[in-house]
Amino acid sequence: MEPYNKKFPGIYIRRGRKKEIYTLNLAKGQKVYGERTYKDKGIEYRQWNPERSKLAAGILKGISQTGIREDSLILYLGCASGTTVSHLSDICTKGFIFALDFSPRVMRDFHFMMQRRKNIAGFLASANHPEEYSEVPQVDVVFQDIAQRDQVGIFFKNYDKFLKPGGFGILSLKARSVDVTKKPGVIFKQVMDELNKKAIVVDYRKLDPYELDHALFVVKKRV
Amino acid sequence: MAFEKLREQCIKNLMKDLKESVNEDNLIINAVNSIEELEKTGNMLVTRLREWYALYNPEFEKWMRDNAKFADLVIRKDRETLLREIRYTETMGADLSKRDLDAILMLAKQAKSNYDMIYDLKDYIEGVMRKHCPNILEIAGVMLAAKLLAKSGSLKRLSTFPASTIQILGAEKALFRHLKTGAKPPRHGILVQHPLVAQAKQKDHGKRARTLADKLSIASRVDYFKGKFIGDKLKKELENKFEVKF
Repeated sequence: MEPYNKKFPGIYIRRGRKKEIYTLNLAKGQKVYGERTYKDKGIEYRQWNPERSKLAAGILKGISQTGIREDSLILYLGCASGTTVSHLSDICTKGFIFALDFSPRVMRDFHFMMQRRKNIAGFLASANHPEEYSEVPQVDVVFQDIAQRDQVGIFFKNYDKFLKPGGFGILSLKARSVDVTKKPGVIFKQVMDELNKKAIVVDYRKLDPYELDHALFVVKKRV
Repeated sequence: MAFEKLREQCIKNLMKDLKESVNEDNLIINAVNSIEELEKTGNMLVTRLREWYALYNPEFEKWMRDNAKFADLVIRKDRETLLREIRYTETMGADLSKRDLDAILMLAKQAKSNYDMIYDLKDYIEGVMRKHCPNILEIAGVMLAAKLLAKSGSLKRLSTFPASTIQILGAEKALFRHLKTGAKPPRHGILVQHPLVAQAKQKDHGKRARTLADKLSIASRVDYFKGKFIGDKLKKELENKFEVKF
């Protein structure tokens, strides 16, 4: 077990037959979604499954940076049951995560996860209406993972309202939600142009073989 | 921590929001989904029951087609009565001891209780819908109306759909095949279960599904905004247009 990279604090890598990434378990002895845990010198790590988390898939595909640090404030749009959020909460031990989803069914699961971790707050709200959760302060990172047609528009709404200048935005794009008839590559190019108008695109990765027709974009807001 | 207070407030708000988010939609959807599962398991149980019971009384097993009635009659009547009813005097089934027969009847009881529960649940759904969405219920009938709700997720979402979406609800695979490859578009999704569509000639299916979807779309909007009851009027319009009764 060794630290993954200087740009990715809190993430550890274990090189076996396959590369596997881990985070330090914040709630000791407890699993969130049945993931594998690994003990090394009395410290417990949780495996971060790239098949279930698009951020983990992006990291394993070799994205250059995400801007997530130990003391980051993160706004997470589309948290679902909190699979990825639990790992972010492992990483951001001194930071805080604001997560939201508009489906009551998954927020129920999220609520149980949230009670065991002190650095998460959840909202039952739609990411398309930022005024519903306006108590969220200015944050360092906006992460979005929602499968809607207007993914980029919704992303920029939150980007404008909540992101600090110099902060990072991470957009996980599902091409099939934008338009099923077009080829994913065409859509990625369109989205890249749209993002470049307002922000600086730092890096992007396609997420196959972990997720089909998905891509992860990292953008930085101009100071 | 800096956000301790905000977090406490969030937990409180979230609990309140989740509590308020439960409405009739969730109840109907869960009930109709469980009916579908009960039908599946019920059929499985009766298939096994038929196989087993045929060792004892193959003639009746062959004669009775209806699964629910079969399970019911096997419990209530003995072999001799059943044979007499279907005008057989002899049977080629083996003579089983009481202990062996009881084991078969145990399965029959399980299957029967399955069918009884489906019946009760349908009754329950109808009761809830009569208050929650009477217009859709009037036009579509209990099961189809509940399935429409389950497919769309909620009454609110169903009422925002255009009629064309309601028409092909449940035929998503065919729709996307059409969009991607240019194959023929689907004429109907689950609306095919409606007697108006199901009893039509093959070439009228599309036409009737389209009209039915129109009326359902109107009904869902009236229901969502809690308007007056116009279900009987819409139903009559449909019946007059195609000159059938359903």
